[in-house]
Amino acid sequence: MTITGEIRSSKRRSGPPRLKITSLEVLCGILVLALLFQSRLVDLLDVPKLRTASTVFVAICVQAMPFLVLGVLISGAIAAFVPASALRRLLPSKTALAVPVAGVAGIALPGCECASVPVARRLMQQGVAPAVALTFLLAAPAVNPIVLVSTAVAFNDAPMMVVARFVGSLLTAMVMGWLWVRFGKMEWIAERALARMADHTGRSKWAVFAESSRHDLVDAGGFLVLGGLFAAVFKTFVPTAWMQTLGGQIVLGVIVMAFLAVILALCSEADAFVAVAFSALPLLPRLVFLVVGPAVDVKLIALQAGAFGKSFAFRFAPATFVVAILCAVVSGVVLL
Amino acid sequence: MRRETQNILLVLLGGALLKISFSGLYLRYVQKSLLPLLIAAGVIMIGLALFAIIGDIRRGKAAEDGHEHSHSSRSTWLMLLPVLAVFLISPPALGGDVVNSAADTNQTQRSRNLLGELPSGDVIPLSMTEFVTRTAWDESGTLDGRRVKLTGFLLRADGETYVARLAISCCAADARPLKVKVIGDVPALPDEQWVEVTGQVVPKSANEKNSWVPSFTVESFTPVAEPVEPYES
Repeated sequence: MTITGEIRSSKRRSGPPRLKITSLEVLCGILVLALLFQSRLVDLLDVPKLRTASTVFVAICVQAMPFLVLGVLISGAIAAFVPASALRRLLPSKTALAVPVAGVAGIALPGCECASVPVARRLMQQGVAPAVALTFLLAAPAVNPIVLVSTAVAFNDAPMMVVARFVGSLLTAMVMGWLWVRFGKMEWIAERALARMADHTGRSKWAVFAESSRHDLVDAGGFLVLGGLFAAVFKTFVPTAWMQTLGGQIVLGVIVMAFLAVILALCSEADAFVAVAFSALPLLPRLVFLVVGPAVDVKLIALQAGAFGKSFAFRFAPATFVVAILCAVVSGVVLL
Repeated sequence: MRRETQNILLVLLGGALLKISFSGLYLRYVQKSLLPLLIAAGVIMIGLALFAIIGDIRRGKAAEDGHEHSHSSRSTWLMLLPVLAVFLISPPALGGDVVNSAADTNQTQRSRNLLGELPSGDVIPLSMTEFVTRTAWDESGTLDGRRVKLTGFLLRADGETYVARLAISCCAADARPLKVKVIGDVPALPDEQWVEVTGQVVPKSANEKNSWVPSFTVESFTPVAEPVEPYES
């Protein structure tokens, strides 16, 4: 599978200069309005719940931005310095075999899920089979050393949790890769995701690197903010106090924790500390929380919809959700 | 969205990251250890935008390239939200609202921070995390009879008064509440007022039934300003 086609940005000539409202004027307008109504805005948010939500929103954005920047830099570096042929040589030619390789390669990207989306898209643009890139996308945020160490610190009473998380997440990523090989359709992925950037000829590699990174950052940044907004609202307004009463109802516990992982959209480096706090629940539902979280959550769905298109995200996210629960349960039953 | 607008948004967002980094306000949102990454992210964002702006000006083709295009770029507008939030609203550190609605008060780990003797001295300053951990897990009662100083904010709920604090491991979204119940006279201070309290734990007062919330006999309250680091880690 290679790239569908190289789409060059069509350069429209603008007509004679006219007074036209562009995004630049809109931006200035918004900034002026925001400054004028600042005190009104602050008063409006002076409700405990809204204050909490706005703090959580800023916290999620601030926490995720450095990792998104890391992701777009790697993505830009791949675009500029790694020729498509090198990637092809690196990976087994048979996609089904390349999938596990990509899963294990996820260990090498020390970041949370925000970093892996732009990298996975860039891999696709460089001609890596989508199944392989998607496996990498799912594996990287869940199996890298930082996440495993923080899980070990959080669950120092139950060291098998680290192994179970590693196996469950890797399994999820590989199963999704193989499912894509079998059932995936190229047309689900938005064309713009696979289109290469405009012509690079005549520009230095560093210029390509900077421009690709900037382009990816602008593309993904808004979706990251959208995901953070959803997560902040859910986190603040969905009550969780009743969850401690679930106790021994294991099936219900698994389902509830899986949904909670999706709506809380925690950073995969921190989710273990939250999972350990649900001490009234047995380990299995908490493992499901740890395996589902880095694979599907509202922040990630927003980023995927931005990178690969809605029609992709609305198929991929639910499928991943189900697969992640199943893989976590299998891994938990065997290992815990 | 035009390229120029995108670049301005990047500069603003990078500027917002740098602003909270250098003013120390980032500690309301994330852990201390993220600081170098935050500064790097801010600098890189601004750098990428400036590189593009300068390149466009030198080639003189920004206007040509800058047509409003592709629907994906509409989402880029959302990048303005954190910018406005940081510069105009500057949301405060999380407080009582989170402690009150939390499911998981005083969940501490058995062996964390438990190693080691308490320091000697008349009044021992302890983090809420260490205090709560010791009251929940330390059966030998090393805290009994020792005077301890804790820092947190006041919180009143169900006719009781608590001193509470939040601990985070990554960002404020994963905040875990810690609290101790105050025994003794409480001066007329408003809710969420930060205080230093000195006193002694009521031995064996933390148990599973009260979600491991220990009782604390307070000898003195000192109102203090909100600490630079509002969260424990």
